[in-house]
Amino acid sequence: MFKKTILLKDTSFSPEDKTRDVFTRCLDYLREKQLEQDIQVVRVADSGVYGQGLVMKVLPDATLYVNLKDEDVTRVIDAAAQNKTIEGLALKKAPKQIRIVLRNCGKIDPESLEEYIATGGYVGLKKALLELTPDKVIEEMKKAGLRGRGGAGYPTWMKWKFARQVVADQKFVICNADEGDPGAYMDRSVLEGDPHSVIEGLIIAAYAVGASKGYFYIRAEYPLAVERIQKAIDQANAAGLLGKNILGSAFSLDLEIRLGAGAFVCGEETALIASIEGRRGTPRPRPPYPSVKGLWDKPTVINNVETLSNVSFILLKGSEQFASIGTEKSKGTKVFAVTGKVKNSGLVEVPMGITLREIVYDIGGGTISGKAVKAVQTGGPSGGVIPVDALDTQVDYENLQKLGSIMGSGGMIVMDEEDCMVDIAKFYLGFCVDESCGKCAPCRIGGYQMLEVLKRVANGQAKLEDMTVLRRISQAMQKASLCGLGQTAANPVLSTMKYFESEYKQHIENKKCPAGKCSALSNYAIIQEKCKRCSLCQKNCPVEAIPGSREDGFTIVQEKCIKCGRCLEVCKFKAVSKT
Amino acid sequence: MPKVIKAKINGILLRVPEGTTILEAAEKVQVKIPTLCKHPDLTASAGCGICIVRIKGTAKMLRACSTPIEEGMEIITHDPEIVEIRRTVIELILSNHPNDCLKCGRNNNCELQKLTADFGIRQESFPQFLKNLPTDNSTNTITLEPPKCILCGRCVEVCQNGQDVWALSFLERGIKTRISPAGEIQLADSPCVRCGQCSNHCPTGAIVEKDHTGKVWEALLDPDKFCVVQIAPAVRVAIGEAFGFPVGTNLTRKMYAVLRRLGFKAVFDTSFAADVTIMEEASEFEERFINNKKPLPLITSCCPSWVDFMEKFHGDMIEHFSSCKSPHEILGVLSKTYYARKNNIDPAKIFMVSIMPCTSKKYEISRSDEMFASGYQDIDVALTTRELSRMIKQSGLDFNHLPEEECDSILGEYAGAGVIFGATGGVMEAALRTANYFITGNELERVDFDAVRGLKGVKEAEIEIAGKKVKIAIAHGLGNVEYVINKVREAKKNNKEMPWHFIEVMACPGGCVGGGGQPYNVTDELRIKRAEGLYKEDKTKEIRCSHQNPYIKRIYEEFLEKPLSEKSEKLLHTAYKSRPTYRK
Amino acid sequence: MDKLTPEAIDRIFKQNRQQSANWIKVGMSTCGIAAGADEVYATLVEEIKKRNIQVTVKKCGCLGMCHAEPLVEVCVDGMPTVIYGRVNKEIAVKILDKHVNSKALLNDYIFDLETK
Repeated sequence: MFKKTILLKDTSFSPEDKTRDVFTRCLDYLREKQLEQDIQVVRVADSGVYGQGLVMKVLPDATLYVNLKDEDVTRVIDAAAQNKTIEGLALKKAPKQIRIVLRNCGKIDPESLEEYIATGGYVGLKKALLELTPDKVIEEMKKAGLRGRGGAGYPTWMKWKFARQVVADQKFVICNADEGDPGAYMDRSVLEGDPHSVIEGLIIAAYAVGASKGYFYIRAEYPLAVERIQKAIDQANAAGLLGKNILGSAFSLDLEIRLGAGAFVCGEETALIASIEGRRGTPRPRPPYPSVKGLWDKPTVINNVETLSNVSFILLKGSEQFASIGTEKSKGTKVFAVTGKVKNSGLVEVPMGITLREIVYDIGGGTISGKAVKAVQTGGPSGGVIPVDALDTQVDYENLQKLGSIMGSGGMIVMDEEDCMVDIAKFYLGFCVDESCGKCAPCRIGGYQMLEVLKRVANGQAKLEDMTVLRRISQAMQKASLCGLGQTAANPVLSTMKYFESEYKQHIENKKCPAGKCSALSNYAIIQEKCKRCSLCQKNCPVEAIPGSREDGFTIVQEKCIKCGRCLEVCKFKAVSKT
Repeated sequence: MPKVIKAKINGILLRVPEGTTILEAAEKVQVKIPTLCKHPDLTASAGCGICIVRIKGTAKMLRACSTPIEEGMEIITHDPEIVEIRRTVIELILSNHPNDCLKCGRNNNCELQKLTADFGIRQESFPQFLKNLPTDNSTNTITLEPPKCILCGRCVEVCQNGQDVWALSFLERGIKTRISPAGEIQLADSPCVRCGQCSNHCPTGAIVEKDHTGKVWEALLDPDKFCVVQIAPAVRVAIGEAFGFPVGTNLTRKMYAVLRRLGFKAVFDTSFAADVTIMEEASEFEERFINNKKPLPLITSCCPSWVDFMEKFHGDMIEHFSSCKSPHEILGVLSKTYYARKNNIDPAKIFMVSIMPCTSKKYEISRSDEMFASGYQDIDVALTTRELSRMIKQSGLDFNHLPEEECDSILGEYAGAGVIFGATGGVMEAALRTANYFITGNELERVDFDAVRGLKGVKEAEIEIAGKKVKIAIAHGLGNVEYVINKVREAKKNNKEMPWHFIEVMACPGGCVGGGGQPYNVTDELRIKRAEGLYKEDKTKEIRCSHQNPYIKRIYEEFLEKPLSEKSEKLLHTAYKSRPTYRK
Repeated sequence: MDKLTPEAIDRIFKQNRQQSANWIKVGMSTCGIAAGADEVYATLVEEIKKRNIQVTVKKCGCLGMCHAEPLVEVCVDGMPTVIYGRVNKEIAVKILDKHVNSKALLNDYIFDLETK
């Protein structure tokens, strides 16, 4: 049995990976020192540290050494053998992530109630039901400072309090699991990985507001989440955690799943209510807010999956512990789905107040390509694009809003210099245009007209005045749209115009896409000097736009070319240019 | 007593009851906030986005149509930004709307056109794109032109929640959203009962009545045709709205004059036929109530949309329906039989036009074989009030200054009972006056039944005839029908005593005065005023009961023999059958 | 399951604080399944049976390292607990043979990322 394990990885961005060389030297050294039985060295796929040269980590002490020079390698082995740490070389790396919402995800069997309880599950509920009054539970939420994780960041305790204050014969709680932002999937992950934590949060919410019936509104595209939540509800019912007189208290709650049919707008709470009621999923004006007049006109609290998972944690660990994390106005953590050009795409849970740079570089590992980050998009189609200069911004609700974006549900898309900002704006606006319910004119027609303008920009057919048209329609959409979808749909356009105006102008005035993304503005051509006449481009062209022969050479006929880029990909001699 | 809210609009302090919307409150301080989707008659859909107002000192804007004003609120209804946004939204709507205004059914009477003019929109800021969807003319009563639809949702609201018909709904989403019956079907194959409330509430030309004035002009010009016309009770108190008369002005005699000058050879009044209907229907009631020949309750059937609704949704109620035709059909058959014979006119040459407050009558005139009882189509064309006002304007006749004239005899002179048919409860009231006489042989001292009047959705009352209690119910607006029918159904199922003996139903809210073919912008206030115009006439009539009308007595003596005689049954009665809600 | 009492909840909570060793967890959320976790799980179950190894295979949710799915976390006596990423059938077998049986970590598949 090994006394120590050393994990090894060359994390420099240089093309020559030294890991294997160092590994061989380590093995030689171990043999030489006859440490083969005590220490094992292993190459890892990812050390969790990036751009820090040669990295070694000694287990079980988890001592981390970075930027090691060649001569340091044997010193590390020696120190490990002697059960010592090399002071000055060892790095104290504070963890970047704090896992509250994802506390059990990937740790426990989501289909086992017992495993959930073993981690402290339903202890918070027990405390709420047996030791706290509903008002005290709301007070705990207030002290914790929890704000809604669905996007807008409305204080959870206020939502609950409003619903609690209304006198009604029936109240409802709903878990909004209609996650729909492109690139965001933290809710799915929690529902699938730790369903009981959400159910527990919903029961606590119901107790606090006095609801006797609750719904999970889950989009039908999440079949596994639906299955696991249903199993968990069944288990909770069987165990007396749902149903009549929960845990022997006077409180009763019935939970049921309703499936969303795939409309993005049904994540908006009034549209969600319409959908549960069996009507067309379109929003209605607020006020009255659902906490006063919601499902079937009864007071209704709608909380997002992530919010509810936080609720059960707060009841278990106390509001103080929760409030100790985060910034003054934004407490706790936020789960982000980091995707795009980032190396480690996936879910991260970070304390509020962390910088975007830490998320993208320290956790995300920078870009896959190694190219510079150009911008980060947060908040999905309602959010905006944050330029690289602002990466040191601390993440919280207010700061992101100041930058013209929003926290949103936690989608975070990393973009590098190959991403065109006009194209990004077009993508997000296109999403909202597709998903607009069509009820109100500003969103329905305004979104469509803006998208038409963006298409013209991307095709090099726009005029400078079109920028004014975009701003004018944006204003109308922001102020006169009925729901959040329309009110925020212009954000990606406005934020890209704000930070990348010159990129728009390049498209409009110079008919050029600097990122080379807008196909209508790029041209492919054969560089005759480099061409070896192998004919590979001709064979691969899907539209026969490359006539010629191995004798006479090849040219690309621009009228026929569909700018798919296949010729450039297949050319082994870099003889295809893209301008 | 609702709580009183204190708030400020444009700096002016006002007090309004809790629940008042900003739009309604603003009217108290002389601000009429523009809107396209809000109709005073309907729940706000909040779709158009034009009625936005600002909470003072914030960037946030609210929809005035649907936001209740709250204590302490300070609202700004107009500032440069608000006006600019409204203009942008109107221009956006215009970019998805054809601009063939000159040839549109709502030209000069279109809410979008008016807003465009008010905002002085002169240029096209956004490229126009239109919905490429076919026109639906399948019902021959209303025309649906989806490209003109601005998706305000009024028609859907009135069709689903007002009328409970659910023929129209929103389909698809985003820019593809459209108004249509569910599924890829046409209105004629849908549950549509042709009540035309959608056309009455549409702000643009997307839903208009099918125009049949051309057919009438053609007939009037045809020397071989003998054109005859009749006017329904509700038309006389509404047509004035198109000519600047105060709402509810009763223009019966001016209408006779104008129709004669348009070229009609005989001008009759549907109210006369209403008296005939009462003779028949009161007899039917007597048969059921006294002689137990058929089951109670008796349900009125003079509203074709209600008949269609019943056939589609409540087929089990057929045995309760009065088999008596609606008054204008009765007048049609009488003019092509009795009148034709008496005046030696070839009935084949008679061209009978009905001026109706109703789009459904266009459907009724050929709904079954019984509508051809004279051997010809009893009614050749049914025109709505709106169509007639256009014809008058086309002719150049100065309606406002025409002298008053009398109706042609004998299908013209009517009792007060006949004219109140146009208001909800009117048929019931008229029938009770005569039924009482038929059953007891005595005349009533007071013929006014106040309990059956007014706009309450379902009116219930009990009266005594010959020592027996007659329980009655009146529903108007098809949305109020279910409550009544379900009670009857329940009693039938459980073999219990019927909740009512006699039920009147009119499809449109307010009855025919609120009909789908009446002038636009109808509200309850207008409905009441129109009905008052009818009740006033009834009050001033010397003869107020149908059975007292000497001409009614004469037509029975000379032609029909007696109510429910073989001849009456053949000419004046019809039959019903269950129909599928959706036709395949 | 019988109805839980408040006491039972406390009991399970306290009892299970010390987690037992000798288990393998496979991330079986949508991201894992999409990357082939189903097959990995089935292979592990089958091969453990064949080899008669004293280790339990469990399903769990997503650790968040979606780029490295399928993920397999291994905890056996005398070995550090590690997470293998981009595991396929072959690597699953290697994990059993090398890591579990021969007590030696596999090169090139460990993802040493923050998950706590």
